[in-house]
Amino acid sequence: MPISHQLLRPVSIGFIVLSFVVALLVNLLPWQASIANFAPDFVALFIVYWALNQPRRVGVATAFILGVLMDVGDGNVLGQHALAYSVIAYFVLIRQRQMAVFAFWQQALIVFGLLTLAQAIMVVVRMVLGAPFVGWAYFAGSVPAALLWPPLSNLMLMHQRKSVPDEL
Amino acid sequence: MQTSPPAFFKQGPKPLTRLLIFSLLSIGLIVGDAQYSMLGRIREQVSVLLYPLQWAATAPFATLRSTADFLSRQTELMAENRQLNDAQLVAKAQAMKLKALEAENATLRGLSARRDALGQPSQLAEILYNGRDPFTSRLIVDRGQQQGVGAGQIAIDASGVVGQVVRVQPLTAEVRLISDRNQMVPVVVERNQLRTVVYGMGAHQPLEVRNMAPNVDIQQGDTLVTSGIDGLYPVGLPVAKVVKVERGSSFARVVCVPVAAVDQHRFLLLLDHRSEMPAYPQAASQPASKNKKGH
Repeated sequence: MPISHQLLRPVSIGFIVLSFVVALLVNLLPWQASIANFAPDFVALFIVYWALNQPRRVGVATAFILGVLMDVGDGNVLGQHALAYSVIAYFVLIRQRQMAVFAFWQQALIVFGLLTLAQAIMVVVRMVLGAPFVGWAYFAGSVPAALLWPPLSNLMLMHQRKSVPDEL
Repeated sequence: MQTSPPAFFKQGPKPLTRLLIFSLLSIGLIVGDAQYSMLGRIREQVSVLLYPLQWAATAPFATLRSTADFLSRQTELMAENRQLNDAQLVAKAQAMKLKALEAENATLRGLSARRDALGQPSQLAEILYNGRDPFTSRLIVDRGQQQGVGAGQIAIDASGVVGQVVRVQPLTAEVRLISDRNQMVPVVVERNQLRTVVYGMGAHQPLEVRNMAPNVDIQQGDTLVTSGIDGLYPVGLPVAKVVKVERGSSFARVVCVPVAAVDQHRFLLLLDHRSEMPAYPQAASQPASKNKKGH
């Protein structure tokens, strides 16, 4: 169910931080090379999620910082994730009110677009710096990420839905 | 957005402004990192910040792996140990074989060189076994009548005379070694061409030159080579080396050792030496003539 249909408990900042830490942790897991391309980018997913649900707290700046962390963790060119995450956070923010009323499956489509955009930005950055094109398999991770969006959103909202009083 | 939003909606800078700021910052980082690689310090500091996460992400897997290692180690090690043992045995056997082959190769090379140097027909024979008679030193070789071996042929190895073919069967031949008791080889002392005969003294015994005067000119270290006088032995094959000369009694006792490795090899060269000799004079006594020839 879309977010805007219910009244939700406020989210503590600690929960947001925790979710990002977990996302970073999952992203830094030693994925096997054969499935590494299919591993969804959880940090990007959570950036979209929190920019959609808590636009006042999580925005471009958070995305930038997480991007720098991912760059260092992955050993990439410093700034490539930062740029990509900043851009997708921006797109979520400008269309936040529209997106928030969409059904989850529609949001999933948008998430797919956003994550693909993020990867495209990173590919462009690397190619501008002289790296060869890495192949289309690089973009495969967006599909599982989009499929993961509805259950993930439900899971995250469970925390907020729990103690909503019935009389409201 | 012609009109500015009410104060309630004011959220600091607009998203586009933020995007511009942070994307410029990102591009700055990218350029600084990729083009000038001057952001090592920043990377280091962030990585220190990130290390606990990295550790947490990889530690469970490492622990899992080491546990699995620990559990599987015993059987794995045993299997590996067995396998290595087998491999080592095989390797050892192969090494031994190789050594034997090397030695054999060296022998054959020596014989081949010897044959080339002699420049006369000869054939290679492999020793099948030692003669079973303990009182004589004889060898059985794998060439016989079929291969054209005849009694009286000389067997040599790479360094000198080994013996003489004394009996020929269709497929094998018997070689009497020069160390066999009373086997005689007519020789000359290489140093001064003194003619004499060297006698065998029995298996594993030295050779001996008999019946020499006490003042005979033979010294320790002299080499005895075949004289060729009997018409059987080709001229100049090394036979023995003098190791000891005793001049105490009425005859000098000259002890020699064979130059050839008489009881070592597996291959011998049988010389096909049948030179046309003039007929032996009738007047001379027949069989015991060899003794006198030396003098």
